[in-house]
Amino acid sequence: MDIRVLRPSDIPLIQHANIENLPENYFLKYYLYHALSWPQLSYVAVDVSRPAKSAYDYPKIVGYVLAKMEEEPTDGVQHGHITSLSVMRTHRRLGIAEKLMRQSQQAMVETFGAHYVSLHVRVSNAAAIHLYRDTLGFKTEKTEAKYYADGEDAYCMKLDLSPIREAIQKEQLEENGEKKPEEKGSEGVDEGEAVGDVGRDPEQDKKEDKTVKVKVGRGLGVGELVERDESKH
Amino acid sequence: MPQTLSTREANLFRTVIRHYEEKQYKRGLKAAEQILKKNPKHGDTMSMKALIMNSQGKTEEAFALAKEALTIDMKSHICWHVYGILYRQHKNFDEAIKAYKFALKLEPESQQIQRDLAVLQVQIRDYQGYVQSRFAMLKAKPHLRQNWTALAIAYQLEGSLEQAENILTTYEKSMTNVPLKTDQEHSEALLYKNTIIAERGDIQRALEHLESDCKNCLDRLAVMEMRARYLGQLNRKEEAAKAWRALLDRNPEHPEYYKGLIEALEIDEKDEAALKAIYDEYAAKYPRSDAAKRLPLNFLTGDSFKAAAKSYLTNMLDRGVPSVFANLKHLYSDEAKKAAVLALAEEYLKEHKGSEQANGDSSKGVGAALYFLAQHYNYHLSRDLAKAMEYVEQAIELDPKNVDFHMTKARIFKHQGDTAKASEAMDHARRLDTKDRYINSKAAKYQLRNNENEKALETMGLFTRAETVGGPLADLTDMQCMWFLTEDGEAWQRRGNTGLALKRFTTIHNIFDIWQEDQFDFHSFSLRKGQIRAYVDMIRWEDSIREHPFYFRAALDAVKLYLDMFEKQQAAANGTNGTGEATNGDDAAEKKKAAKKARKEAQKAEREAAEKAAKQDPNKATAKKDEEPKKKDDDPNGLKLAATTDPLGDAMKFLDNILQFSPKNIEGQIAGFDVYIRRKKYLLALRCLNAAQALNPEHPRVKEQYAELQKAVESLDDAVSVKVKEVLKAKFSS
Repeated sequence: MDIRVLRPSDIPLIQHANIENLPENYFLKYYLYHALSWPQLSYVAVDVSRPAKSAYDYPKIVGYVLAKMEEEPTDGVQHGHITSLSVMRTHRRLGIAEKLMRQSQQAMVETFGAHYVSLHVRVSNAAAIHLYRDTLGFKTEKTEAKYYADGEDAYCMKLDLSPIREAIQKEQLEENGEKKPEEKGSEGVDEGEAVGDVGRDPEQDKKEDKTVKVKVGRGLGVGELVERDESKH
Repeated sequence: MPQTLSTREANLFRTVIRHYEEKQYKRGLKAAEQILKKNPKHGDTMSMKALIMNSQGKTEEAFALAKEALTIDMKSHICWHVYGILYRQHKNFDEAIKAYKFALKLEPESQQIQRDLAVLQVQIRDYQGYVQSRFAMLKAKPHLRQNWTALAIAYQLEGSLEQAENILTTYEKSMTNVPLKTDQEHSEALLYKNTIIAERGDIQRALEHLESDCKNCLDRLAVMEMRARYLGQLNRKEEAAKAWRALLDRNPEHPEYYKGLIEALEIDEKDEAALKAIYDEYAAKYPRSDAAKRLPLNFLTGDSFKAAAKSYLTNMLDRGVPSVFANLKHLYSDEAKKAAVLALAEEYLKEHKGSEQANGDSSKGVGAALYFLAQHYNYHLSRDLAKAMEYVEQAIELDPKNVDFHMTKARIFKHQGDTAKASEAMDHARRLDTKDRYINSKAAKYQLRNNENEKALETMGLFTRAETVGGPLADLTDMQCMWFLTEDGEAWQRRGNTGLALKRFTTIHNIFDIWQEDQFDFHSFSLRKGQIRAYVDMIRWEDSIREHPFYFRAALDAVKLYLDMFEKQQAAANGTNGTGEATNGDDAAEKKKAAKKARKEAQKAEREAAEKAAKQDPNKATAKKDEEPKKKDDDPNGLKLAATTDPLGDAMKFLDNILQFSPKNIEGQIAGFDVYIRRKKYLLALRCLNAAQALNPEHPRVKEQYAELQKAVESLDDAVSVKVKEVLKAKFSS
C-alpha cells in the first residue's frame, strides 16, 4: 500500500473506484475540479504490489479521499469538506480510510487554514459512522432528512481541527523562535467559481431549489459586449 | 453596407446578448427578430441570432445564418467572433482559431476575443500561438499577476524554461509590498517557479530558492518533499536523511520516503539486516503502519524472510484482514517465497484448527486462513482449483453468510471456465449484502462475462439513479462508467450483436473526447485559482490521455470487431464457400445462424426501446424549458454503426489513437498490421510489423504477419509504386 497525494493521472481509476463502490457518482470533471482547486487535500491509496500489465499501466487505486474547501462557508469560517471517501472491499481493515483522512486534515489546516472539516454520511452506514465518530472524533451536528437521492437521511458531522492548528503553531514557535503568528479570519479565501457543470455533488442538487447562478461572460464568449462586472457574481 | 441601429434598437441588441448569456434563448430570439424586422441586414444581430439558434440545437441553420451575416458585414468583429464560437462549439478548433484571428485583426483591443483565442490555442497545444496571445494579454493588463504567471506557463509548455523563469522573476521584482503569508496565489507562484528551476536541471539553485523564497509556502508537504529530493540529488546525505525522516513522521505509508532515507543513509542494497532495522524502527514507532512491516518482505530472503512473513501473516490472519493475500501475492514471482508463504499459512491453520468456536468472528483466525489458502490456490502462479474449492467450501461452512468467501468461490468458478456457475455464485454473494455496491458491481460483471447483458443491467439498476431519463444505461453512460460499458460491449460482441458492441466501444471513445474537452474551462479557471503546478500536471496528463488502458481495451475490441466485419463482407461478396480454408460449411452455417440471431435481438431491442420511449412522460423530460436541448441519440442500438460498408475505414479512428498513444503495446501493432494489409497500405503494415518485431520477435502472430507480408510483396500489382516496392522488398531480401 502506498498512501500519497492525488495526481490528475489517477483520476480515471479514482472515478472507477468510486462508481464500483458507492452510489454517489461524479463526472471526471468534478474530480478535476477538486484536483485543480485544492490539489493538496485529496489522497489515494495505491496497490503497489500489483505487477504492471503493460507499458501503459496506471497504479490501481484501492482507496481515495476526495476533499475540498467550502467555497462560500455560510458560517464565515474557513473549513474543509469531505466530498467522497471510499476503500475497496478487498482492502478493508487495513486502516486505509483513517490514514487517508488524517493526511487530508493535516493539509486542510496547513494549506488553507481550515478550522474544522465537515462531511455527510448515510445514517445506515454503521462502518463509516464508526470510523468518523469513534476513530477520528467527528461529532454529529444534525440530521439532514432525505439528503441522498434514494431518500435516505444523512448525518452531518464535523471535526474540530484546532488540535492540528495548535500543533502546527507550536512547531512554528519552536522552529522560528518567533512570536505566535496572528490569527486571521480570512486566510486562504477562494474567489473562483465552480467550472461548468461539474458532476453531481448531492449538495449541489440540494442547492438547485435556490436560484442557480448561470455562468455568464467568459465561458460563453461575448461577455465583453455587455457592461457586466463579473466580480459581482 | 452594414446598417447602424437606432438608440432604441442598440439597447435591444444589448438585451439580446444578455438573454443569450442567461440562456433565455426564446426571449433572445424574440428581441433579435424585433431588430431584424426593421434592419433585416444587420450583421451583428444576425450573428447573435445564429448563436442562439446554435444553442437551441439548430446547428445547420446557425452556420448558414452566421455565414450570411459575414457576407453582409465582413468588417464586423462580432460576426467573426460568433463564427469562431460556432466552430469552437462544434470542435473544429482550427477554423475557430482562424475566425478569432480575423475578429482580433478588426478589433485588436478586444480582451474577450484575445482570451477566447488564447484558450483555444492552449487547448490544441499551439504553444507558440499561446505565447503570442499571452504576451499580448500581459501587455494589455500588466498589473494582473495572473497574466505574468500565464505567460510563464506558456513559455514552459513551449519549452522555453529560461524565459518562463525570467517572467516570474520580473513580476516578483515589480511587487511593491510583501504579500500576506496566507496569499495562496503567491505561495503557489513561488513553488511553481521552483519547479521550473529544477526542471532546468539546476538543483543547487532550486534548493537555495526553496530554502529562501519558499520557506513559508502553504503547501508544506510539497516543500518538504522537494527539499528531500533535492538534498538527495545533491548528495547532501545527512540533511537528506533528516528530511526523509521528517516526511516519514508525517506519513509512514509512502514507500518513496523509505527509499529516500535508505539511499541517504548509504545502506548497501544487500545488507538485509541494516535495511530491516530501518523499517523495524518505524514499525515500532508507528505500530499501525502497514508499509513498515510489509515492505521488508520484498528484499528479505531465507530464514529472515520466513520469520518476517510469519509475523506479518499471523498478525493479519489474527485480525482477519481480507486483503492480506492481495498484499502478498506479488512475492509469488519468487518460488522460494511462494512456498514459504504457503507453508506458513498451512501451519497457521493447523495450529488454530479447533479454536473456531472460541472466536466469534469467522473472518478472523481459521476463517481467515482458509480464505487465504483458497485465494492462494486460485492465483495463477499457484493454481490448483480443486484445492481452492476445497478450502473455500470449508470457509463457507464456517460462515455461510460471508460475502468475501462466496466472492472467491465465484472467482474459482470463473477460472474453471464455468461462467454460468461463476455468475450464479457471485449473485449469491451479492444477495448476502444488498447495500454494498462493490459486490453488486462484481455480480453484474460476472453476469456480463456470462453474456447476460439484460440481467447485468438490471443488477446495476439497483444502484443507479432512479430519476435519470433513459434508465440505468443512461445513468452509467452519464457517469462515465467505463468498466460496465467495456464489459457490456464485449458481451454483446460474443453474442454476435455487432451493433450494440460497436455502440459501447464508440461510447467509450466519445467519453474520452469529453475528458479531453473537460480541460477547456481550466485554462482560465486555474489561473484564477492559482494552483499552477496542479494545472501543468493536468495538461501533461491530458496530452496522453488516450494511452489509458480504459481506452486501449475498448479501441482494440472495436478494431478487431471491424476486422471481423470486413472478413464477413469479403466472404459474402465472394460467395460463402469460395474464400478458403477457414470457411468450411459448418462454420458458415454457424455464422449465418449467429448473424440472424443477432439481427433478431437487435430488432427486438429496438422495438422495446421504441415502446419504452413512447411510454415516457413527455413533460418530465422537458421540465426545464429553454435549456440546452439534450441531443437525442439517433442510433441507440448501433444499427447504423453495424451497417457500415467500410468497416476498415471506420476502424481507423480507433486504430490511429492506439498507434499514436500506445505504440509499445504489441496487441495494438498486430491489429494495426491486420487493418493496413487488408487496406493494401503495405508501408504502414510494414511499420506495424517492424514495431511489433522490436517489441517481441518471438510472438507467434508477428511471425505469421511477417510471412503474410512477404507473400503479399511477392505478388504486388502495378498500382503500387516502384519506390514502395523497393522498400518492401528490402525488408525481405536479407
